Amino acid sequence: MTLEGFRPSSYLTSETARLRETIGDSKAIAAVSGGVDSTVAALVAKRALGDRLLPVFIDTGFLRAGEPENVKASLEEASLGLRIKLVKAGGRFLEATKGEAMAEEKRKKFRETFYRVLGEEAQKNGCDFIVQGTIAPDWIETQGGIKTQHNILVQIGIDSLATYGFRVVEPISELYKDQVRALGRHLDIPKDLSERQPFPGPGLLVRCIGTVSKKKLELLKSATRIIEEKLGPFNYDQYFAGVIENKFTEDPLYKSLDETAATALGLPKSETRVDVFKDRVTGVKGDTRSYGLLVGLKIQEDNRDTYGWLPEKLRVAQSNIVEKFAEVTRVAILVKEKRGGPPLSVIVRAVSTRDFMTAAVAQVPWKILKDIAESILKTGDSSRVYYDVTPKPPATVEFE
Amino acid sequence: MKGQYNHLIARRLQELGVDSHLMPPSTPLEKFEAMGADALVMGGGPQSVRSLHELTDELRDASNLMTQIKLPMLCICVTHQLMATTFGGKTDLARKPEFGPVEVSVSDEDTILEGLKPSFTAWESHNDEIVAAPRAFRVLASSENCAVQAMVHEKMNVFGVQFHPEVYHTAKGVDVFKNFLRIVREQ
Repeated sequence: MTLEGFRPSSYLTSETARLRETIGDSKAIAAVSGGVDSTVAALVAKRALGDRLLPVFIDTGFLRAGEPENVKASLEEASLGLRIKLVKAGGRFLEATKGEAMAEEKRKKFRETFYRVLGEEAQKNGCDFIVQGTIAPDWIETQGGIKTQHNILVQIGIDSLATYGFRVVEPISELYKDQVRALGRHLDIPKDLSERQPFPGPGLLVRCIGTVSKKKLELLKSATRIIEEKLGPFNYDQYFAGVIENKFTEDPLYKSLDETAATALGLPKSETRVDVFKDRVTGVKGDTRSYGLLVGLKIQEDNRDTYGWLPEKLRVAQSNIVEKFAEVTRVAILVKEKRGGPPLSVIVRAVSTRDFMTAAVAQVPWKILKDIAESILKTGDSSRVYYDVTPKPPATVEFE
Repeated sequence: MKGQYNHLIARRLQELGVDSHLMPPSTPLEKFEAMGADALVMGGGPQSVRSLHELTDELRDASNLMTQIKLPMLCICVTHQLMATTFGGKTDLARKPEFGPVEVSVSDEDTILEGLKPSFTAWESHNDEIVAAPRAFRVLASSENCAVQAMVHEKMNVFGVQFHPEVYHTAKGVDVFKNFLRIVREQ
């Protein structure tokens, strides 16, 4: 199905018919997040089921500041008419993921908690089905072993009925993001919803690189608010923050990184410094998942300012590093640091992408990056702000 | 094939008005005949194809299919490498792998790369590369790190490309598909 050849109206007709046939006279829960995928899936299901659909929003605790209330309010707007049940489960999610540093384990624990909570809601409300907004890249990436998307069960052989007590229905699982947006426009969803930037199901959990903690979550929430405010006026497809602890590997293998970076940037070796973070980040190299290392690249401050944002040189530095060091999947450039601050770094990421299968680094003006970094450092919760200069591949859009 | 981008191949071809279907390489030849297929495009995947004796079942099927089927064929990434291994060339670990944007220089505008001279930006993701193209093939393009970015069989409408013409960020990828489809129509 293509965007050019994609007809929202006929898709809607055939999909609602299929839903009626599958669900029959039963009731269904629609798991909604406020994102375009789950909103569109819920609206398609509502057409088919009417009042037999119960939209449920789970507050996982990994949401942005004010998000549960905002999402509930915007989905209940008269034009959409979804009546949302808000389920607060932040404590359970934090407990389930505490102390786990490995990205895949975090995602799996999140998924487990997510479906337990949904299963309980289904039972309470007499629902046999869960409608969710899975789209094509979700199951392609999960089946391909790139990363476990939290909403994939059936495609990897998990029997949802036996495990959680409900059956899963996915009205848009064959569509790509741009097709979902087209269907959303056809369903008259407000533009701020249909064009909203994606927010991952596990939310800030997968932007807390390594183990999750309240401190990291708080920093993420304030940094996210700053980035969304400052980059909102630009037309980037996705922009957000990650937080990582300032713990670095001492592996002698990476001693020559300084030189690789300096050569690519055309700077003397004394004017660049490279740190390799200990916590791992997700990437994709040669069509395979690569749970690799994040390199923090620092060039002298006066150079940083005179050189400004050098997309071409940074691109070469990034690709030379990733080619030469098989374990490295990402490179970020230091924008600003504050000595003596808490040992946490914020990584700003902004990309242009159409279908999330590939993504290019957005060329955010250096002045804007500096402005963002100053605002983030001012809150006093971090000591460094970086900008991620890695495309997908070899990185993924999200950090974990 | 298991590659993440293979759905995009089907999508791009459909955007160009082609009735395209995703099928596993184990599909019997009769089935291609029965559906009246005009061409075969094979996509990428995560596996390595350095030795014909150590292929996964899926890639062994793909290797057999490419020697038996008598249709114009375009092989992408891993199957481009598989074509080299299958037809007597050599695939090995790349001296320098490529991930993300790569400048591809066209030395021969023949057939699938028509209109793409002198160079274009393509997106790649590979750890292995063709280190020697098979004798029956002519190299059409290369990049700084990789000598065989595209090749064509001297006598048949059989093509291989290391880069991914199907991803959005390979802006001229659609031209590669258009050229290929023109060849299919004209033959």
